[in-house]
Amino acid sequence: MTQTTVDEYKRAWEAQLLAFEDSQHRGTIQRLLQGARRNRLVIAGTVLGLVVLAGAVLGPAVLGSDYESQQLRNIHLSPFSTADLPDQTRHFYLLGTDHLGRDVAQRLFVGIRVSLLVALGVTVMSMILGILLGLVGGFSGGWRDRTIRGVTDFVWGFPLILVAVLFAGGLGEGLFPVVLAVGLVNLAAIARVVRGEVLVLKEREFIEAARAGGFSSGRIMFRHVLPNILAPTFVLASYYVAVAIIAEAALSFIGLGAQPPLPSLGVMVAEGRNYLQINHWESTLPGITIVLMVLSVSLIGDGLRDVFDPRLRHEAKRMES
Amino acid sequence: MRRILSRTGYMILILILSSIAVFYAIRLSGGDATAAALPASTTAAQREAFRERLGLTAPIYVQYFQYAGRILTGDLGNSLTNNADIGDMLIRHGKNSLILGAAAFVLVFAIGIPLGIWASVRRNRAADQGIMTFSVTGMAIPNFWLALLAIWLFASTLHLLPSAGCCELRHLVLPAGVLAFEGIALTVRMTRSAMLENLGQDWVRTARAAGLSEFRVIGKHALRNALIPIISLAGLRIGQIVGYALVVETIFGWPGLGQVLVNAVLRRDYPVAQFFSLVLVALVVIGNWLADLGYVVANPRLRRA
Amino acid sequence: MSEAVVVDPVLSLRNLTTTIHSDGLTFDVVRGLSLDIYPNEIVCLVGESGCGKTVAALSVMRLLPEAAQITGGSIRFKGRELVSAAERDIRAIRAEEISMIFQDPLTSLDPSFTVGSILKELIKVHRGSDDASATALALATLAEVEIPDAKSRMDAYPHQLSGGMRQRVMIAMALVLDPDLLIADEPTTALDVTVQAQILDRLVDEQRQRQMAMLLITHDLAVVASVAHRVAVMYSGEIVEQAPVDQLFADPQHPYTQGLIHALPHVSARKEPLYSIPGRVPPPQFTPPGCYFAPRCPFSIEVCWKDHPPLEFDGDRLLRCYNPQSFASL
Repeated sequence: MTQTTVDEYKRAWEAQLLAFEDSQHRGTIQRLLQGARRNRLVIAGTVLGLVVLAGAVLGPAVLGSDYESQQLRNIHLSPFSTADLPDQTRHFYLLGTDHLGRDVAQRLFVGIRVSLLVALGVTVMSMILGILLGLVGGFSGGWRDRTIRGVTDFVWGFPLILVAVLFAGGLGEGLFPVVLAVGLVNLAAIARVVRGEVLVLKEREFIEAARAGGFSSGRIMFRHVLPNILAPTFVLASYYVAVAIIAEAALSFIGLGAQPPLPSLGVMVAEGRNYLQINHWESTLPGITIVLMVLSVSLIGDGLRDVFDPRLRHEAKRMES
Repeated sequence: MRRILSRTGYMILILILSSIAVFYAIRLSGGDATAAALPASTTAAQREAFRERLGLTAPIYVQYFQYAGRILTGDLGNSLTNNADIGDMLIRHGKNSLILGAAAFVLVFAIGIPLGIWASVRRNRAADQGIMTFSVTGMAIPNFWLALLAIWLFASTLHLLPSAGCCELRHLVLPAGVLAFEGIALTVRMTRSAMLENLGQDWVRTARAAGLSEFRVIGKHALRNALIPIISLAGLRIGQIVGYALVVETIFGWPGLGQVLVNAVLRRDYPVAQFFSLVLVALVVIGNWLADLGYVVANPRLRRA
Repeated sequence: MSEAVVVDPVLSLRNLTTTIHSDGLTFDVVRGLSLDIYPNEIVCLVGESGCGKTVAALSVMRLLPEAAQITGGSIRFKGRELVSAAERDIRAIRAEEISMIFQDPLTSLDPSFTVGSILKELIKVHRGSDDASATALALATLAEVEIPDAKSRMDAYPHQLSGGMRQRVMIAMALVLDPDLLIADEPTTALDVTVQAQILDRLVDEQRQRQMAMLLITHDLAVVASVAHRVAVMYSGEIVEQAPVDQLFADPQHPYTQGLIHALPHVSARKEPLYSIPGRVPPPQFTPPGCYFAPRCPFSIEVCWKDHPPLEFDGDRLLRCYNPQSFASL
């Protein structure tokens, strides 16, 4: 009789233990999302980023994207003011006007679009190319790897602004040299990191296991290696998006990037520079916008790194044990 | 030792390759480079003669060797804008840039490293949170805007410092500060994370088990290993400073190499643009090389048994 | 007529409890641990990985990581209470009176400093010696732990030495100031099999020569059998059995100890499958309501599942079990 009681206890305990252990393990993606949701940095950054994005997308749609026309009678209006237009209508200037009577709000949102286009658009493309290059280099080895490594090591360490100025020297002013420079440096940096990760991963046991299982190189590359390199790549890419935003603005500021009347945020700051005493909003607003954009990207990047890192380490430990 | 030699050889190779790259970059547009340099009234023949004089008629690789030859013999050419000797410009402006760069460099590490250590020791407490917030926002502020803010605050409002110019100490304060700012923020973060990683290592535990004081454990054993990535970062910082100096010198009117280059590009002054691009690129390459060397020297694990 | 000489233990742990905060959870890794170590004896603390033996050792030296704290019990060393002692006093005790060697000698030595400078630093900080005498003492100790060519080895970096060499350096560090108690946490686990025996011999020799107490932590019963004077078996954060080594192997009482001994591979004519104790160690966050070993115990009775058995004396042995059975019945 006592033995059956003991058996009951045993079974009850086993069930409880299993339930407890189940509660500890969750699917990888769920864990990631959970980590991301809990991470305050990611939340703050994403909220900020969404606000900026909304501005870029909706702003011109709602307010109009007339960044050029000048109303010389309405110069230096402060934010939230209303004034008359030549055609007798009243216009609400959400963020005031600049020294040429242009609507700051409309220029601002177009400026955000320009920044995002250069930074995000180019970074996405260089991410794809960079990952490809890194994968090829890391996996093939030999001369292919050595060339890729040589080129990326060289380009990666260069300050973005200098590269852009070099291209501007050859191609003249405008956004194209900036785009080229951003794309090139991002590409090199990402390819370099990906290559490094691939080299490390190649040695890990589960790759050997996959090889032993007869999977082709291509399949190994995509199903096993790619998810593991995406993490550091995203973190790096977020950093470079931030750098690109600043670089584009800085170059436009000194006259080498976007050309007036195109309202790059840097151009706006530059043009408002002389009127700081009269109407500082002309420079301050685009400046703050840049800071907010970079902050949001940085926070997302930092948060991503926090989310990915401990997970990576735990996954690695579990695999090794 | 062998590693040092190979890195040096690699650096020289890169220098040569980058000079070629710069040379070609300047000629990317392919169009007539001289068009902007000459007044509209010149005839085609005069343009042709001008181009001949500048050596722009030969095939590009020939031009490169001619140019390389001239540089190495000390004939650096003249500016198209004011016919100034480029060699003189190099010395004059180079000195200014060196002062500015060195000042910023020192600031970055003299402020960044101690703050980073402090943040790592006071992990997650008030000091750490404050320092990290400063660091994150610091990296988000574009330096040109920071420059404007600084000028507005210290020059226009408080009248403490001049807003532009050269070459006394008071002219140096703002540009050096602005130039160093982002580097400080980055160094703080790197130092903090390197220290945190080291403080969790087994050898720190051994040092404590040996009865060493916390000061020694942190200041000697943890820090020494944390410095390894920071030292190699220092070399990269040189390149970053060179890049940002372009903007900072322009804003503050500090007559250095960066300002010269930017103006030359804007004015299509090709000889100047080309040469100073080379100089700045060379500085970056040397900086990266020093970073490589620094890493090897600082990390005993890379020494062969 | 002989009188029993009563000697005080060098180290006396009573009801030591150490708690860890991790991932938002709080749980005890060491629960109510009680153990005495007397002068000039080797006590082996045995248990599977995760049972808390390393944490217990770190608690004694107050070397716990930030996430862990001692939350109960007392640690008396030569009559002094260590749990509440000031940081400065603990630092003076470390390496001078109690020293510790760790499991992984590669990561336990600072890779940026030469082996000699680490050893000399230790000597100088504690003794205030000048460079010459510190060097002399360091050399002598390195020679004593049988490091060949000690003079040139002093200028070597840890990564330039083999695993066995590094562990000898650690032993030198632990012995150079002639402590009263040496805690060795799995000193041979990370080493090659051939080197393990050498290191163990060296440790035993040193213990005998210097007449110090030694707490040897291990999961390897073979090591215990060859080296220990007394053995304490640890499971899930507490001692479940303690006995002089001969008695423990001849007549193990606790079912866990019996399982461990039975699991030892032994050369025999018959081909038998290796025995392993069924089940797994419960995670520290989720322990059974009664005896922690009950789920894996072949002799558990009802009371084992309801009440937590206390540690009880039985002559010079200690046992924590409601239903001990003789070994033969396994």
